[in-house]
Amino acid sequence: MTVYLDHNATTPVRPEVFDAVLPWLREGFGNPNSVYASGQRARAAVERAREQVAALLGAGDASEIVFTSCGSESDVLAVSGAAWQSHDESNGRRRAIVTSAIEHEAVRLLCGQLRRRGLAVVEAPCDPEGATRVDACSALLNDEVALVSVMHANNETGVLQPVAEIAAAARGAGALVHTDAVQSLGKIPIDAKALGVDLISLSGHKVNAPKGVGALWIRRGVRLAPLITGHQEKNRRGGTENVAAIVGFGLACELARKELETAAAHALALRRRIEGGVLLIPGSRLNGHPERRLPNTAHFSFDGLDGHNLVVALDLEGLCVSSGPACSSGASSPSHVLTAMGVAPALASGSLRVSVGWGNTDADVDRLLGVLAGAVEKLRVAAVGS
Amino acid sequence: MKRRVLAAMSGGVDSSVAAALLAEKGDEVVGVTMKLLARGETGFGCCGSAADIDDAKRVCERLGISHYVSDMADVFESKVIRPYVESYLGGTTPNPCVECNRSLKFGHLLALAEAWGCETVATGHYARVEKGRLLKALDPAKDQSYFLYSLNARALSKAEFPVGALSKEAVRDKARRLGLRTADKVESMETCFVPGRDVRRFIEKSAGAGARGLAPGPIRDRTGIELGRHTGLASYTVGQRSGLGLSGGEPRFVVSLDPDENAVIVGGSEDVWSSSIIVGALTWTGPAGAARAEVRIRHRHEPAAAALEKLHDETVTVVFDEPQRAPAPGQAAVFYSWEVVLGGGTILRGENL
Repeated sequence: MTVYLDHNATTPVRPEVFDAVLPWLREGFGNPNSVYASGQRARAAVERAREQVAALLGAGDASEIVFTSCGSESDVLAVSGAAWQSHDESNGRRRAIVTSAIEHEAVRLLCGQLRRRGLAVVEAPCDPEGATRVDACSALLNDEVALVSVMHANNETGVLQPVAEIAAAARGAGALVHTDAVQSLGKIPIDAKALGVDLISLSGHKVNAPKGVGALWIRRGVRLAPLITGHQEKNRRGGTENVAAIVGFGLACELARKELETAAAHALALRRRIEGGVLLIPGSRLNGHPERRLPNTAHFSFDGLDGHNLVVALDLEGLCVSSGPACSSGASSPSHVLTAMGVAPALASGSLRVSVGWGNTDADVDRLLGVLAGAVEKLRVAAVGS
Repeated sequence: MKRRVLAAMSGGVDSSVAAALLAEKGDEVVGVTMKLLARGETGFGCCGSAADIDDAKRVCERLGISHYVSDMADVFESKVIRPYVESYLGGTTPNPCVECNRSLKFGHLLALAEAWGCETVATGHYARVEKGRLLKALDPAKDQSYFLYSLNARALSKAEFPVGALSKEAVRDKARRLGLRTADKVESMETCFVPGRDVRRFIEKSAGAGARGLAPGPIRDRTGIELGRHTGLASYTVGQRSGLGLSGGEPRFVVSLDPDENAVIVGGSEDVWSSSIIVGALTWTGPAGAARAEVRIRHRHEPAAAALEKLHDETVTVVFDEPQRAPAPGQAAVFYSWEVVLGGGTILRGENL
């Protein structure tokens, strides 16, 4: 039996969600924009899902939710859309983006592209424990900043970011604020209003919904240049809605909201057991703040081995974990997140991320702890011996 | 209990079929492609170019086995590419495949395989291992045992060459029958990491245009008379005829390269024959030492009978029964007893006694 401990990469679709999705792939195939009854039923299903997603953010106004195809699309719509909108509305004065040094590639690579297209992009550094520095971020703010984009929780280390503080400073400077909350959704409470941001990216497949659906929460009144033009989603995102996946996303958010506390407590208990066991291995360390992290994420480094090789070793024993983000598997270059935290390259390349989630049990942790020390030891011997 | 084995997969047809044969036997096959070039460099048919990794991955999907990419660019750079460049700059002709087999496939990759619980490392080489001895391939036209001589007894005990008893045609047939996309893939014949066969340009890029070995110097005959100018020792190999830029008279061949004088020494066709060679950096696949052997001095060279006279532990003089043409310093000399590889070493120089 395979043990899945990589919930930050993706999650299994819960059976309830699976069951809710299926009818919309069968008889409920109507286009929610059609006039007739089957279209109206599909529309109702999409709107119900919109309310379910909004509820998980504590947002009373479901129309603030725009469905997209994935978290990356939400990021691009938010960052690119807001930056250009603000740039244009200020007649080109606001032409800078302030972001963190530890963003997900979706934001990071986009910022590189926007830089090449003439916008200024500046990165606020993070502290050694993986949290973006509020003071450094504030120092970068001025009336030329169009947008501040800082993730809610880091996907690799799980470290929570001071988004509310940064947002307060950014709004003082008249900038829009975006946060990528793909990794924190369903794991910790997110209160859109209290965070004080304008835009929040979400993804379905990280909360036990199917792949192929994401959402962007857009504070009422905030205007974005659309990425995909079309009349759907109130002109904010064209393209026929992915009804089945949206329905699944909605239900998954409702389940996550109802179970948030118990799920977080369960994850935290498993994570603490994992950390306790792993840190007994000589030459191991925990990366990121010891406490201010997602309850489900633990990120380790081991001396004298390559994390990718450790992931393979564990896979051969039936355990799914990762060494870096899933998007960059295969390459051994140290992650930009660990580099930004000041972790030495040798340690950074010997990293392992364990992320628990729905369905994990104590027995799963036992399986991991049962093989990890041996795998680490063997890889160290191999690294020295060859 | 299923045997777990690691199949080193370059993305070519030979290693694809090697993996397929093991999977058919019922082994748990772990397919691994080594990524040998750093990110951004596009290898021309080099192990680990994006297209080759993709081919290997697709073959593994077809075979229903797992596949991983292992980044060994750093080791490849230090163990294979840098010594290769150094060798050319020093006026010798390197054999990078030998070092890649020793240090990468049966060095780092074998160590990883052991850590991953794999009993053997299998490759697509045309060679055989029987009772711990390294043997030529059954198909003499495809034999690659020359490139594997430096495997020691321990490495050989962990090595498998599943296609070593097949002909190339049989391998391609097998691949076609299994529907593997690599079945008709063109074979890479050149040094895998040198784009477009342009060794000179590769050396210049790696070492800088001003490096020794790339500096022009005299072309001399064997009595020391200057006949012309050469463009740098790295562009010449012993035995080579073309590219000397000399006009008129008898054809001239490179007899030797003199790095101390930065000179290319040329002579007539009779001058490139050696009655003996000095071979250093010896390794043995089994017990060290043998008084006589058939010695192969380049890939596809017909092994020539010779006496091995020990100079000291790591060096022998190989005295051929009949003189051999153009043994090139830097190339491997491999010792055979009929089909068995006894060992070998690096040619230090040829002599005509």
